[in-house]
Amino acid sequence: MFTGCGVVTGQNQYLTRDAVRPHPGLEVNTPIQMENVVAPGTCAIYQGHTYSNAMQPAVVDVPDPLKPAPLAVPPPALKLGQDGFKKVCRTEEDSPCPFPGLASGVLEMRVKEGSKIRNLMGFAMARMQGEKCESGRDVSGGGLRQVVFSGSGRAVTKTITCAEIMKRKVGSLHQLTKLRYKVVKEVWESTEGSSSEMTVHRTVPSISILLSKDPLDPQEPGYQPPETLSALWEEKEGVESASQTACKRPLGPSPYSSFTHCKRVCLGEGVSVLPPH
Amino acid sequence: MSSIPLAAPLHADSASPAVEMDPVEYTLRKRLPRKLPKRRNDVYVNMKTDFRAQLARCQKLLEGGGHREICVHGLGLAINRAINIALQLQASSQGALQLAANTSTVELVDDLEPEDPDEAGEPMTRTRNNSAIHIKVFYPDPQ
Repeated sequence: MFTGCGVVTGQNQYLTRDAVRPHPGLEVNTPIQMENVVAPGTCAIYQGHTYSNAMQPAVVDVPDPLKPAPLAVPPPALKLGQDGFKKVCRTEEDSPCPFPGLASGVLEMRVKEGSKIRNLMGFAMARMQGEKCESGRDVSGGGLRQVVFSGSGRAVTKTITCAEIMKRKVGSLHQLTKLRYKVVKEVWESTEGSSSEMTVHRTVPSISILLSKDPLDPQEPGYQPPETLSALWEEKEGVESASQTACKRPLGPSPYSSFTHCKRVCLGEGVSVLPPH
Repeated sequence: MSSIPLAAPLHADSASPAVEMDPVEYTLRKRLPRKLPKRRNDVYVNMKTDFRAQLARCQKLLEGGGHREICVHGLGLAINRAINIALQLQASSQGALQLAANTSTVELVDDLEPEDPDEAGEPMTRTRNNSAIHIKVFYPDPQ
């Protein structure tokens, strides 16, 4: 379908996985790369990258070697948890800062899946607003000028929520949002006595949000000017008539219906107080 | 729309009996998010539809539909999937596509309807916020 290059073939695997959702034990449900020395050449790009900074012994001795075809990889990946493999190590590979030219002293909040928003916000707000004794005067007078919230995988939603809360509380913040894939390396070890070890590279979506009291480049993709808090939806509707293009196919399901589905999912998962009669 | 009965306060037993509405059971109805723009090139991502189908729909819009840009929206849990779709589109375009993400807060309204009309519980509404993302996936202007 979209098997264009090495990177993409690797990410193909994600699609299968997203639909299957096999074991909740894995931290992130987005495994894209399953890297295995037994099958070199599967994803040339990432392998080159991998080996250059592989610090692990990376001794791979998997009972059933992966087939070279990239699409054959997901099944073994799905079985990881059941095949007596245990995750022993998880490291995020260093990726360059998504905001080039950013001053070095910027506060970076790394939002994780289990982070409490009150803890994150308590710390970040205190730093952005300066010392308590200064809080009486103009907010922009004290504290840091910029903060970056970043998170990946299931922490993405929380990251956005933190940024949204800060925008609302501090006010007149310029925002720059960047999306990308982040490579996470996991080492799995066999629990069945043998010393086999397997290194898995998966890419998870990650988000970085820069909030700044100083103006940012409006031409940069992902820039959001201050005070577009809830106006974004209405604003877009204004654009609608201007950018209306010739329709080629009938309307899909309306946005309302799509969000209905979304809500049903939430209902099913979130509210388990009483069974429906 | 689906509804799930909800015991209004979970700690009904431990609360003081003076609070009258405690024993009343409410049905929690989540209203739909209000007012969404819907252009031809808007894609609203949800968690119910198959991921590949939603990705294929976006690809069709960009490749077959002749759109220079599409807008992928995700709310709450679907944010992750919206990001994934956008990143997949970008990866499969081999660098031709660019992403511009915006975030926003969407106010949602829940209706609380008394389960039993005899209990004389008042219908209530409750508002809460949820985060949303809007990703513009576009071919940059050849300048």
